[in-house]
Amino acid sequence: MIRFVAVHKFFGALAALTDVNAEVKKGEVVVVCGPSGSGKSTLIRTVNRLEEIQSGSVLFEGRDVHGKLGGAALNHLRTRIGFVFQSFNLFPHLSALDNVMLSPMKVNGVKRSEAREAALRLLDRVGLAAKAQNYPGQLSGGQQQRVAIARALAMEPPAMLFDEPTSALDPEMVGEVLSVMRSLARDGMTMMCVTHEMNFARDVADRVWFMDAGRVLETGTPVDFFRSPQHPRAQRFLSDLHTR
Amino acid sequence: MSVLPSMIEIVRDNWLLLLVGQYPNGPLGGIAATLILSVLGIALAFPLSVVMALASLSPWRALRWPVMAMVYVTRGVPLLLIILWVYFVLPLLIGRSVPAFATMLVTLVGYEAAFLSEIVRAGIQALPTGQMDAARALGHSRLGAMRYVILPQALFNMIPSILSQFVSTIKETTLGYIINVPELTFAAGQINNRLLTKPFEVYFILAISYFVVCWTLTQAINMVERRITMRRTRDLAVSALTAIPASASGG
Ligand SMILES: Nc1ncnc2c1ncn2[C@@H]1O[C@H](COP(=O)(O)OP(=O)(O)OP(=O)(O)O)[C@@H](O)[C@H]1O
Ligand SMILES: [Mg+2]
Repeated sequence: MIRFVAVHKFFGALAALTDVNAEVKKGEVVVVCGPSGSGKSTLIRTVNRLEEIQSGSVLFEGRDVHGKLGGAALNHLRTRIGFVFQSFNLFPHLSALDNVMLSPMKVNGVKRSEAREAALRLLDRVGLAAKAQNYPGQLSGGQQQRVAIARALAMEPPAMLFDEPTSALDPEMVGEVLSVMRSLARDGMTMMCVTHEMNFARDVADRVWFMDAGRVLETGTPVDFFRSPQHPRAQRFLSDLHTR
Repeated sequence: MSVLPSMIEIVRDNWLLLLVGQYPNGPLGGIAATLILSVLGIALAFPLSVVMALASLSPWRALRWPVMAMVYVTRGVPLLLIILWVYFVLPLLIGRSVPAFATMLVTLVGYEAAFLSEIVRAGIQALPTGQMDAARALGHSRLGAMRYVILPQALFNMIPSILSQFVSTIKETTLGYIINVPELTFAAGQINNRLLTKPFEVYFILAISYFVVCWTLTQAINMVERRITMRRTRDLAVSALTAIPASASGG
């Protein structure tokens, strides 16, 4: 469903991604991990072209995201890829409900009444039906992130990307966001998650990708990755996690 | 020292001229014309400035370029010269004479739009980049993201700056005097010409009039600004990553 083919990306002279070849299959949950600065955010942001690449291609449902696409085609493609940010990025001038309703109405042309109904259902699904009228500034971090997930789901995307969705949260709020993600995975959503939550990776992921210095070094199953990581850097990464 | 009594006398004899100029026997003038000129100037400049700000942030050079040029010119050339220039060139361009009021209005709209567009542009750029990222990731076009996500926030934050620009505009309308726009300064000039011996009193009245209008507006702006700051800090305090959830919000 998401395929990286010989992807190279530079920030000036810095090679942020080097020869990335990997695939997320339909219905799969892939967890991307690796040390800070290894290129995880950059990689996941190339999938909906929030970052450009210098060579190679990223295929989503067989279409080259970085190929020759008109603006409208790219916008349409983006509606099919849900994206959840580390910093939530809710729209602070809109209530939780309006955050979720906005894009179905303005991008997909869904009628207000239908958008509202769907949004309330989604807010209920992430456990926030009671907070529909609250503004982001009145919600806790965990609540904001769950609204952000509902907002992404409102476009009914076949795949969801998460870039460290719990890293900005107080520890006691991590669980509520992860449990929403677990339920998505259980429902068969195709997911690519950058996260440091190794328990989530162990329980939910079908594959774990390990990144270091812009390269994807491992793409094993969680069992293989956690029991017998092949690459010395992955071994060091895991032992650092344990001793922390 | 008979300054105060004679000032009161001047106001008593000329208050109508100061308020509305020759109206209804002649064109509307005085404070009324000053305020109408300022309100219309800002009201027309504002939408233009938003379009200019969007153009100046556009990826296309053909859109950026004219706006940047206009902004640099208005920043680098005194308003008085622009007024004179429009006064002499505009009739040549459209082939007939233009009333002074219209000349002044056209000049003000262009001039204020250039300044406002810089304010709006700064307001857009001050928003976290994550806002645009989130809107684009949801499939909004660049323009759609601006319209529904970026501008509502940026313009709200810009309200105090836009109001200050309004106060500047009121003061800038005095320059209409040079092309005989019948506004407040012009009315004072007429009174002075009639009395001949009381320039100090007449222009002191004029200064007080501008001061009262602008000071009142500035106080109003400060109030608006405090409200906005309060609202913003409350939001920040609650959404700050370190804040204790729920307890601060009362939600
Ligand atoms: N906009 C940018 N301009 C220049 N360099 C950048 C930019 N964004 C990221 N980088 C660099 O690219 C590299 C990869 O960054 P990236 O954010 O993808 O890492 P990451 O694995 O997500 O790290 P973290 O775990 O800290 O989020 C880093 O060296 C970073 O400094
Ligand atoms: Mg990152």
